[in-house]
Amino acid sequence: MLQLTKYFTLIIFASLLFTSCGDDEPEIENEEEVITTLTYTLVSGGNTVTLSFQDLDGDGAAAPTITSGVLTANTTYTGSIELLNETESPAEDITEEIEEEDEEHQFFFDSNVATVSYDDQDADGNPIGLSTTLTTGDAASGTLTVTLRHEPNKSADGVADGNIANAGGETDIEVTFNVDVQ
Amino acid sequence: MSNKNIKYLVLHFFLTIIVQGQSQDCNLTIRGQVLDEGTQEPLSFVNVLIQETATGTITEDDGSFLLEDICAGEYHIIFSHIGCEGDKIHLDLESDTIITIELSHSPTSLSTVVVEGKKESLISQPNLSVTRKTIEDNPDKNLSAILENEAGVHLIKNGNGISKPVVQGLYGNRLIILNNGIVQSGQQWGNDHSPEIDPFAADKIIVLKGVSAIEYGGGNLGGVILVEPKRIDREHHLHGQINYSYDTNGRGHSINTRLGKYSPSLAWRINGTFKKYGDQRTPDYFLNNTGTQEINFAIQLEKTWSERLYFDFYASTFNTQLGVLRGSHIGNLTDLESALSLDVPFFTEPDFSYDLDAPRQNVSHHLIKAKVKYLISDHQVLDIIIAGQINDRQEYDVRRGGRTDRPAMSLLQLSLNSEIKYTYNFDEDWTLKLGNQTIATDNENIPETGILPLIPDYESWRSGLFTTLTRRKEKVRYNVGLRYDYEYQNVPTISGDLPRRIIRYKNNFLNVSGLLSAEFDLGKSHTIGINSGYATRNPAINELYSSGLHQGVSGIEEGDTRLNTERVLKNSLEYKWLPNTDFSISALFYHQHFKDYIFLNPQDEFRLTIRGAFPVFRYEQTDANIYGIDLASQFTVGRVIFGVLRYSYIKGQDTTNDLPLVFIPPNSFYGSLTYRLNKSLPLSDNINIAETEIELNNRLVWEQTNIVAGQDFAPPPPTYNLLGFKVSANLITPKHKIRCFIKGENILNVKYRDYLNRQRYFADDIGISITGGVNFKF
Repeated sequence: MLQLTKYFTLIIFASLLFTSCGDDEPEIENEEEVITTLTYTLVSGGNTVTLSFQDLDGDGAAAPTITSGVLTANTTYTGSIELLNETESPAEDITEEIEEEDEEHQFFFDSNVATVSYDDQDADGNPIGLSTTLTTGDAASGTLTVTLRHEPNKSADGVADGNIANAGGETDIEVTFNVDVQ
Repeated sequence: MSNKNIKYLVLHFFLTIIVQGQSQDCNLTIRGQVLDEGTQEPLSFVNVLIQETATGTITEDDGSFLLEDICAGEYHIIFSHIGCEGDKIHLDLESDTIITIELSHSPTSLSTVVVEGKKESLISQPNLSVTRKTIEDNPDKNLSAILENEAGVHLIKNGNGISKPVVQGLYGNRLIILNNGIVQSGQQWGNDHSPEIDPFAADKIIVLKGVSAIEYGGGNLGGVILVEPKRIDREHHLHGQINYSYDTNGRGHSINTRLGKYSPSLAWRINGTFKKYGDQRTPDYFLNNTGTQEINFAIQLEKTWSERLYFDFYASTFNTQLGVLRGSHIGNLTDLESALSLDVPFFTEPDFSYDLDAPRQNVSHHLIKAKVKYLISDHQVLDIIIAGQINDRQEYDVRRGGRTDRPAMSLLQLSLNSEIKYTYNFDEDWTLKLGNQTIATDNENIPETGILPLIPDYESWRSGLFTTLTRRKEKVRYNVGLRYDYEYQNVPTISGDLPRRIIRYKNNFLNVSGLLSAEFDLGKSHTIGINSGYATRNPAINELYSSGLHQGVSGIEEGDTRLNTERVLKNSLEYKWLPNTDFSISALFYHQHFKDYIFLNPQDEFRLTIRGAFPVFRYEQTDANIYGIDLASQFTVGRVIFGVLRYSYIKGQDTTNDLPLVFIPPNSFYGSLTYRLNKSLPLSDNINIAETEIELNNRLVWEQTNIVAGQDFAPPPPTYNLLGFKVSANLITPKHKIRCFIKGENILNVKYRDYLNRQRYFADDIGISITGGVNFKF
């Protein structure tokens, strides 16, 4: 009954609000969970290649900026991924969030011109994919798709080896880069 | 018959009692006749039972009955008949008494409904109604699901916990639900939002088809669903009931209690419901995270100030937590495609659980209403209603960074309704109604979700004037109606592009609707009704300003600020034949022609985001036709078998692009056969088993074939057929009535998916479910 009285009061209050007919400004939500930018940095000796995908307006209509790269044939690169939320100022480092929840996240790499293996592990000994080794094949033009899954089933068949088919979960990131291997 | 002290009382809605003086102690008689409310024909084989003495009889061919050798005192007499909503009357027996009672064959009386204690024909409105018995026998179902087997009603669902009714192909913004006479406000736009109403608080659910909204606020094109509690029984002592049921599928418990007491100074009734269900199960696996929990409470007060002034008060609170199948929560198009290819959804666990994790919804709806009825004269009535509603909705998604416990969407909607209605009966057969309804709404996204809202904040104000004129003659009834609505919207939206900023829209809309209808009694129990209406509906907030990812449907939805008002011309023809109490058939043909029909159209392009590609849906307008046939028939065989047959055919076509409309219900058939034991079986001296019934039912839903490849993510599921049963009986003791039932749904454990259930992209529908229930009335 007390609850009802409370709501009744709220309704009366609301009616006053209506009559005032104010142009209240809504609060613009701070999109703290958004990932705007993925940078995949590949290092081989003194040679650094940066693949990046940046989409500042999230689901909005503006097209993302995609930076592709040129890799050397039959070369091993050390890869690292950085994620940013650039809607905030200064930009928030989402990579840290992934590291904190590493058991719930895994990157998957799919390419027809290179192979990628994992160099990092979560507490259960399963791969994460923030640190990787990328090995290119012979010279060719192709693509590299980087996928981040939230709550994948890491113990499902083939998932720890980087096979996405049985992973499930939700896709937080799925970006495709054009890659030239020369 | 020396003492001609004949009283004429109206005790119940359709009950007249004549009391003849002749007072003697224990040899009084109750004599009477039972008639069919629709046809006025006598009803034979009606079971008449005095609860207190456990004596009873069955009516003769002319509907008459005689109960003899009864002592003076207070009694409850229970009337029940095959295929009828039974009735129970309270009688203070002082002398020999004659009773005439009318029982309604509920599904047949397509055009009769009880309004404010008097019989009133809603002639222009082909309608059907669900009775208290159906509500009590379906404790496992929400409001929408209770209506599922009715002709012309379908459900659009997101799993089995979340469903909304579809009437003749229209739902959401196009269908009004009136709870207790108040337009249910809330997030009606979402396909994944159920109406927040406890069916247990109601006694009758009525579906009005056609452009019948003239008299009801909301100004919609589709039908109206009225959810109504009945008036408090005129019983001076405390009465009530307790319902308990258990459902094997979901291991669900449901408890409902109702208590009430009448006194002329103040009559009251309270109603409380608690439900808890866990994971439901398909024939092969559990649907994890599909449990629900509900706690509801309602209070109803009635006060008679004077012969002319009545006061009603109603307050209710509805609180639910709903789980959404974990495996249906997906990221982008790639995830959807991989989910579609699976036999068993991701995240399926081998064990049952009552736990509710994300994705889930927490929704509360509170209503408070006061109504004054003033009889200005014998022919003039004034009704005034004031009501307020609060709808509080939080939706939780699986999120990163410990944000799962923070709602991804949090909406608080406050609305205020007022109504004033004047009714004037003149020249014997004319009725004029004039009225105004006003609804003010304030919808607010509660900040701190960390996600830009899909629906913007808004304030709206809608006020409408209506008038209807009805004439009832012996064989013909006419009805004309006109309605005019003004709507103001003040919407501060957040820009989709950067930098984010507020863009405010202020809109003014005018809506007009008109209705013409007539019903002709062609004689020999044939009736024909025609109904022609025109209505306009301004675009709703979601259609104008939606912006963003609708997680539930894995698509980006975008409103269009340039949308125009939608217009519809609706025509229907209803034919009824009720030759006798053993058979009836009715057919309703309807055609709805829309100009600028607003719908969510999938776009050719996919939008590339960092999360991958997403399909884009945009609100667009087209011309469309939605038409169909509803058929209903019922029959009895030898007064022991009762049958119901219902069939719906519906088709929707986009005439501008010559394409089918999506999410139009597939054709369906429902049939049931009930065997009824007319006699009461005495269990002991004063305990009887009465109204024993065994029912077999069948629901057949055909594949939706009117769709073109590429209009949906997955092709429509194939035809399915579900078999069910119900066995029920009443145990009647001098003080109590206990109803027991056991029912089974999908008893063959058929594996199926339903076209209008969004969960079909991910998982099968639920398998066998056995529900047992006890209803104790005192």
